[in-house]
Amino acid sequence: MSAYTISLLSIVGINVMLAVSLNIISGFCGQISLGHGAFYGAGAYSAALVAVTTRNLPLALIAGALVGSMLGLIVGFASLRVRSDFLAVTTIGINFLFTGFVRKQGWLGGEMGISSIPPSGLGGTGNMVMIELFAAGTIAFSLYVNASWMGFAFRAVAEDEDAAATLAVNAVSYKLVAFALGTAFAGLAGALYAYFTQFINVDAFDFITSVMLMAMVVIGGIGSTFGVAIAAVALTLLPETFRFINEYRLLVFGGLLVLFISLAPGGLASLFHGTRARLRR
Amino acid sequence: MFYVDLAVSGVVFGCMYALMAVGLTLVYGLLRILHIAHAAVFALGAYVTVLVANVSGSILLGFVAAIAVTPLCGIAIYRILYQPLLHYRPDVPMIASIGLLVFMQDGFRILFGEQGVTFVKNPLAIESVDVAGITLTFAQLAVLVVTLLIFVALHLFTTRTRIGVAWRATVSNPSMAASFGVDAIRVRYLNFGIGSALAGVAGGLIALLNNFVDPTIGYVVSYKALAIIVLGGLGSVRGTLVASLFLALVESYGTIFIGSYLNRDAIAFLALILVLMARPQGFTGVRTA
Amino acid sequence: MLSFARGLLGAFAFFVSQAALADVKIGFQAPLTGLAATDGKSAKAAAEIAIDDLNAGGGVLGQKLELITYDDQAKSDQAIFTANKLIGDDDVKFAISGSYSAAGRAAAPIFQNAGVVFISAYGVHPDITKAGDYCFRLVRLGPPQGRAAAFFIAESLKLKKASVISMDNDYGEATLQGFLGDVDKYGIKVVNKYNYSLQDRQFGPIVAGVKRDEPEVIYATGYFFTAGPLVAQLRAGGVKAPIVGSQAFDSGKFIDIAGAAAEGVYIVDGFDRYRKDPKLEHFTAEFQKRAGYPPEGVAAEVYSSFDILVDAMKRAGSLEPAKVRDALAATKDFPMLNETLIGFNKLHEVIMPASVDVVKDGKFVHFSTIEDKKVLAPPEQ
Repeated sequence: MSAYTISLLSIVGINVMLAVSLNIISGFCGQISLGHGAFYGAGAYSAALVAVTTRNLPLALIAGALVGSMLGLIVGFASLRVRSDFLAVTTIGINFLFTGFVRKQGWLGGEMGISSIPPSGLGGTGNMVMIELFAAGTIAFSLYVNASWMGFAFRAVAEDEDAAATLAVNAVSYKLVAFALGTAFAGLAGALYAYFTQFINVDAFDFITSVMLMAMVVIGGIGSTFGVAIAAVALTLLPETFRFINEYRLLVFGGLLVLFISLAPGGLASLFHGTRARLRR
Repeated sequence: MFYVDLAVSGVVFGCMYALMAVGLTLVYGLLRILHIAHAAVFALGAYVTVLVANVSGSILLGFVAAIAVTPLCGIAIYRILYQPLLHYRPDVPMIASIGLLVFMQDGFRILFGEQGVTFVKNPLAIESVDVAGITLTFAQLAVLVVTLLIFVALHLFTTRTRIGVAWRATVSNPSMAASFGVDAIRVRYLNFGIGSALAGVAGGLIALLNNFVDPTIGYVVSYKALAIIVLGGLGSVRGTLVASLFLALVESYGTIFIGSYLNRDAIAFLALILVLMARPQGFTGVRTA
Repeated sequence: MLSFARGLLGAFAFFVSQAALADVKIGFQAPLTGLAATDGKSAKAAAEIAIDDLNAGGGVLGQKLELITYDDQAKSDQAIFTANKLIGDDDVKFAISGSYSAAGRAAAPIFQNAGVVFISAYGVHPDITKAGDYCFRLVRLGPPQGRAAAFFIAESLKLKKASVISMDNDYGEATLQGFLGDVDKYGIKVVNKYNYSLQDRQFGPIVAGVKRDEPEVIYATGYFFTAGPLVAQLRAGGVKAPIVGSQAFDSGKFIDIAGAAAEGVYIVDGFDRYRKDPKLEHFTAEFQKRAGYPPEGVAAEVYSSFDILVDAMKRAGSLEPAKVRDALAATKDFPMLNETLIGFNKLHEVIMPASVDVVKDGKFVHFSTIEDKKVLAPPEQ
């Protein structure tokens, strides 16, 4: 397997983790989050700092997930205050606050980012395998949540919070749980990313990244774990397959996005299941 | 004097923000869609203004062309992109909108070049006039005057003309308006048309202020306008005007005093988040639960 | 009949011999799409002209050069993919980055580990050359550029009171650090520091601040799309102090945007583009023809990267990366498009004088040259 394929598959795995984790927050629990890049970045930066100082892989990964989750919890509290479209823009704000803050902090590398992150010790292929295992784990966890009582509670909150209350589903705690879980995986993905590139800089976690992740969720079919995972794979590999039209990649990408959504608004999941029940306004 | 200068700069920018954001809030108010592709309409207005002005020699003609083209673009976007998707969760038309923005932005790059376009002759951005000790370029003066005229005209339109009143009624209460015989489709076209025309004017004015238009000119608008309409209270034009001015002033003072800790966008969004925490419905929004 | 057969045999032999000579492939990464596409376009045009010129000159060691370009959108992960693709799929032994810092920084270790000679044409992240001995950089780092500006302001302009405006990216930050590090040495007093993001085009608050500062000189870093509006707005706001700009100001578009306001603006470490030099003149004409606008620093750096790489191959007399690397490191007094490279230091950073240009009558005109070795010294590690 060539180094190119390995690096590609590594990023695919990371994007799958990010998209599936976003789906838990936005798909399952209906809390629109357009700032997922901030949790991704928070995880990457904390893992990078831990890696540089302790050179301990498990510790760095845990740090990434933990910090991502803590930031996520804070945003979760914000979600209690603001709803839907207001929340969407608040999450955009969190993303910009994160990048705007980090790029001005010397101890976080400022504009230069953090370089010389030590290798994980597993080698390129080993890294990729680790990432794919975690990605598979994220998918499994997501499927489990979906089938469990928690998943039911999430869906209830997403559809109608007040009605959910009558079923003893406390919207507050479930929203917070959704954020905490989703962002933990995003943070973990960030940690894995830091080990993959061995150099992180704040531009990798910007608004554009967050929007791309949301696109993966919508194209996959909001709420469908497999749909979102497949969309993540497709949207990561698509620009690579279009390298032969180097100069028109973004044009084609944007065009395909529009076309696909117009033809299959329910996403990949709806194409497979032929059901649009999930998408009632 | 310094603080006055900062305030003036903020007001001028607030006018720009207002012109950009009102179109977005009109669309949201009517259809509950976050019309991110609005930024592409804005960029189109900027390009058309410069290119037509360069070819014809008249900046005014450039603006006229922009005002003619952008509403058509906006209405086309509604008709082709949004209309089929109205019954889906709001994320869906939003993603389509984002896809269109990416497409159009790259289209601008391919059609008009990465280096961007400049006015062949634009004295307005350089020559200035002194008003009560404050120096304003003619371009900045134009922004203030044009914005004032436009919003006065808009106010008169929505309060004194039949179409305008029908439009306002539909935005606040679509079903009630329909029962009064207001044609919802025509109102939607009007909505997109006027909103997009405003964006077109904003684009032309920005081109005038900067003397430069590049393909990424819509990028900041795409998220900044969202912040403004949320701050104002989604769907409220008055709220958007207040929010535009507020945010521009916050940025103006903020970038000078805390610019070494947070960059401009971070400051703007920090202000947004703080306001929303205190008032989750924005400046003039109505609280829902 | 016999002569026809002979002719056929001859033709056959000719084609066989051509096929036996493989082309020398040079990998090239540039931001063709995305937010950095402006420089990507210049880089690509310059690269293509360089390859064509070098091939017209006979190629290298009897072989033709082949350019393999990939778009990295100036992003780290794309730089990693494309670096791996160049090494694995395209089997390149030499690569040039015509992209920004983050991309170059992510790609450098990959090329280093694969033993591929790598030159960063204009990416300034300090760690690119630290990745190893196969990595070179042809552009001056931020800190020496900043120091050169301080030197210029103190020694040439003899001004003491400065307002500093820097842009929020690694280049702006690094240059600012270099500048601030030397101000005390010359007795330059920095009245105030301002900064702005790459997307900003309106600088009202900064103009207001500078007006209040009443500095004797303004030092600003930025790309043409921020520098143009900034300078125009400063002058329109009534600020008359001389403006000293950084290398990235250096583009014809800057003058287009700022118009009359650009008159008298100094650019430290600029591109001395109107020198009487046949190679430079040919390049300028060809670039204008292909790209549609006059070349700037980025284009010159990219062209010279290819030039110096192939020159190293010829001096090494070999296409083995290790030998080319050594020949490259030993380069002395090589004429680049914008300056004569004196040589590389231990870290493979450039040692060369800096040209200061000034805008006069709507054109960049050479003003002076800074040759002070200490001021321009790149880091050794």
